[in-house]
Amino acid sequence: MDFRSLFTRKSKSSSIATQRLQLILTQDRFEVSEDSMKKLQLELTEVLAKYFEFTMNSVSMSIKREGNSYVLMADFPYSKTNKIR
Amino acid sequence: MGKVIVITSGKGGVGKTTSTANLGTALAMLDKTVVIVDADVGLRNLDVVMGLESRVVYTSMDVIEKRCELSKALVKDRRVENLMLLAASQRNRKDDIRPEQMQDICEKLKEDYDFVLIDSPAGIEQGFHNAAAGADEAIIVTTPDLSAIRDADRIIGLLQNEGIEPINLVINRLSATLVRKGNMISKNDVLDILNIDLLGVIPEDTGVIASTNRGVPLVHTERSPGAEAYMRIARRMTGQRVPIPDMREDSFLDQIANWFSKKK
Repeated sequence: MDFRSLFTRKSKSSSIATQRLQLILTQDRFEVSEDSMKKLQLELTEVLAKYFEFTMNSVSMSIKREGNSYVLMADFPYSKTNKIR
Repeated sequence: MGKVIVITSGKGGVGKTTSTANLGTALAMLDKTVVIVDADVGLRNLDVVMGLESRVVYTSMDVIEKRCELSKALVKDRRVENLMLLAASQRNRKDDIRPEQMQDICEKLKEDYDFVLIDSPAGIEQGFHNAAAGADEAIIVTTPDLSAIRDADRIIGLLQNEGIEPINLVINRLSATLVRKGNMISKNDVLDILNIDLLGVIPEDTGVIASTNRGVPLVHTERSPGAEAYMRIARRMTGQRVPIPDMREDSFLDQIANWFSKKK
């Protein structure tokens, strides 16, 4: 748990802005709609689910600028207790 | 041979013209030869911010249409040596100029001056492309808010497509107090999102309003936080190593949290 959350009641507006911005920029950089993004995420998850076990809602995708190009990042966290099938 | 730097942002009202005026003045105060070029055809304002509006006779349009020599169209600054302004035409439209014509002006100017700073119009249309056409490098100005950062991100992509490099970032109007209270996106978050090199941070400085009213760039004012920040950026532009001061954005709680995380 974040130490700060003990003292602050509601989330700060700056962290809401940062989160919204990350999502907006992922779509802008991707040049695809939110629906397509979700579809891609779902299809990728389906493929990976053949080999790994993870909770669907923990998956996240983003695009980061690295110099002159972009890197597509997808996070599929799975717990260590899960075994590769 | 000097270099041409376009100062741009995408979104309007974030401080492109103020930054062009102050960085141009600051560089001239550091004994560099400088031309600041207003590329906002039809909505020119750099002359007003510089307090030079009454001295403008010719514009870049007159140079392009060969009504006057380039050197004759340059307006000499009232306060600093080695600082010139090339005004934009107020009667024309942005698409009356082609990118090659701007490029031609930039090529000629950088033969004689150390720095040519182009004040870009807002938007991503023809006016922006004209402003960027002759540029070797770019400075992106953004304020720490959603819309400005989003537009900055788009502009960075467009400049990279044009092969302009380096593209450096200036974060304008940052309020350390608001960041501490959690009501403004922090410097580090802006950098993390845009992921380009930081050239400097300008703190929120209400002195800018009076400076624009008077037509005297802020860098002429002593002991103003904004002026000091612009001077530091100008020094960095000349190759000096000037550290970016910490604006104490972390709240007391953040500092304790950092202390705890270091312990682990």
